[in-house]
Amino acid sequence: MAGFEHLIGGFAVALSWKGLLYCFLGCLWGTVVGVLPGLGPLAGMTLLLPLTFGLDPTIGIIMLTGIFYGAMYGGSTTSILVRIPGEAASVVTCIDGYEMARKGRAGPALMIAALGSFVGGTVSIIGLMFIAPPLAKVMIAIGPSVQVVLMLLALGVITAVCAGSRLKTATMIALGLALSTVGLDKLTGVPRMTLGSPELTGGLSFTALAIGLFGLSEILINLEKTETIKAIQPKLKDLVPRWIDLRESAPAIGRASIIGFIFGIIPGVSHVVSTFVSYAVEKRLSKHPEEFGKGAIAGVAGPETANNAVTGTAMIPLLALGIPSIPATAILISALTIHGVQPGPLLLTDHPEVFWGLVASMYIGNVILLILNLPLVGIFVNLLRIPYAWLIPMILIVSIIGVYSVNFSNTDIWIMMISGVVGYVLRKFGYEMAPLLLALVLGDRLEENFRLALTMSGGSYAVFADRISVTVLMSVLCLLLALQALAWTVGYRKSVVDETGTS
Amino acid sequence: MTVLHDLVRHHDSGSQDGMLATHQAVMRTNAWHVPRLDQQTGRSCTVLPRVFSNRTGGMFVTGLLAAAGAFFAWQALTLDIGGIASPGPGFVPLLLGAFIILSAALIGINCCRSGEHEAVELGHRDVLVTITALLGVPLIFERLGAYISLALFATAILVLIGRISLLRAIPAAILGLAACWWFFHLLLGVQLPVGPW
Repeated sequence: MAGFEHLIGGFAVALSWKGLLYCFLGCLWGTVVGVLPGLGPLAGMTLLLPLTFGLDPTIGIIMLTGIFYGAMYGGSTTSILVRIPGEAASVVTCIDGYEMARKGRAGPALMIAALGSFVGGTVSIIGLMFIAPPLAKVMIAIGPSVQVVLMLLALGVITAVCAGSRLKTATMIALGLALSTVGLDKLTGVPRMTLGSPELTGGLSFTALAIGLFGLSEILINLEKTETIKAIQPKLKDLVPRWIDLRESAPAIGRASIIGFIFGIIPGVSHVVSTFVSYAVEKRLSKHPEEFGKGAIAGVAGPETANNAVTGTAMIPLLALGIPSIPATAILISALTIHGVQPGPLLLTDHPEVFWGLVASMYIGNVILLILNLPLVGIFVNLLRIPYAWLIPMILIVSIIGVYSVNFSNTDIWIMMISGVVGYVLRKFGYEMAPLLLALVLGDRLEENFRLALTMSGGSYAVFADRISVTVLMSVLCLLLALQALAWTVGYRKSVVDETGTS
Repeated sequence: MTVLHDLVRHHDSGSQDGMLATHQAVMRTNAWHVPRLDQQTGRSCTVLPRVFSNRTGGMFVTGLLAAAGAFFAWQALTLDIGGIASPGPGFVPLLLGAFIILSAALIGINCCRSGEHEAVELGHRDVLVTITALLGVPLIFERLGAYISLALFATAILVLIGRISLLRAIPAAILGLAACWWFFHLLLGVQLPVGPW
């Protein structure tokens, strides 16, 4: 009952004019970054992160989350109409979505993608609502040693599942953790790695680093691409799917909602993995698997539903444990921290309006996106015609002002520039930035809890292997291994190799 | 040699087809000091972007990473390391620095073993222009004021990368900055440096 009352309170926040306005703006910007190839949800969120500083924390988080799931919606548009995935989770949609568009069936593909996204998103929000509060209660009872184990586990899983070299991913995690040590040591108050600079005693600005490593480096990489984009333009009257389309998509949407929700728990790349698993499952269960790759509507419905179903699940570790499972939620942690709200198990008791306001806004955001995406698809497609170079100054100016306005420090602009260039070079040589960012967010708490646990145990490392720690570790590890095994069994890896040509 | 022969033959022909074939031949050479064609305009441009083999570039990047690791380890050694049972403020950074050095060395060894066939292009003209313009911003941001320095930055990007005329770029930059001023200054109350005036 108390949960229901909190939800009503959340709706009161989300349905206020500010809540609606910023949810709409977040969804709109999210769709735009999802549509524009190269600008994913992460860059979209980091670039607008500074704009939330002047807002109420709940409203700021509503806007940032809107960008996250808005980008998931928007990514399908370019996948279907241009065969360019707006972001990584839409790669699979390209396969059958574009084939449908080529056959003059872009409208139904877009409609089914939007409907699937809506259903997947809604299912995951319901799951979030029921799972996060009891999980948070359990987490309050556990000590720093278990938190260390959980954080190390999250980083370990990211190393295992991230694309590319595991050694490079591990190096990026270590670098992120090392960068988080810059500034005053929280336990002793000693300045570290500051080279005597008073401006660094507060630590490296997360906003500057995140915008540099993700936003700026992505812009620089996109500047190298010179291809002109030709998009298929669907008409509004063609959007309505046929009865047979709905009949074929409905089971795929149902299955993908569950797949996305379950796989959302894997740290690092859950939104991408879930789309491949869903595609593989649909292909395996289909009566006509030979149609996959040639414009099967279930090949659009499944992955698009799955990548949106992940958004709610990804919020569970963030809101209940204070641990980001994907980079987008790391940005949300940073935003909450800047606003003085500590994410984690105490969030539900200390700031219930933030949790329930966010849950309610996600329901509303899904409706906004459904309304926004279908009639306005023509406008979003026309965005692809704007030369990229014209968008760059505006994006960069907003980023620079935003970064400066956090601490009113020119040093932060320098940090953004340098991290942008470093991020660009590292990405060119196959280093992933997502693990670095996740480690950067976790580093502070990981070290603090590690040293606290050792102090409390009188220097005994056995504290990390006590009964509770081992039970939690083993349960989570078994769950993750089972999911990984399931993904491989249904042919995730084979699908990746078949459809993208990468391993 | 065949590729170079193709290059000379097609370049001498002077036709558009010949120029494109020249470009393709250049791409095949992966050479550094050969003029290239701009992919958009088809005109000859400078030697940029430069192509680095994964080995050379990879080694350079691992060198940078190892240097970063060494920095963290060196700084950690100036702090109290503590003991294994009671770690001091330098303990974790020292471990991380050592790990980064070790992993960078392993990546470096992998790079050395890998073939030269994979290449990475660095130094694209538009990227270099953007980086240069960006690096100029913090130098003048507080001296000239935020809005003037950002207007100069926007104009430079629009002219050099957007390839629009100065007469159109200046009003566009002013309009954009006016929108920023309205949003940040009036709406959010963010006070940015105004410069000496």
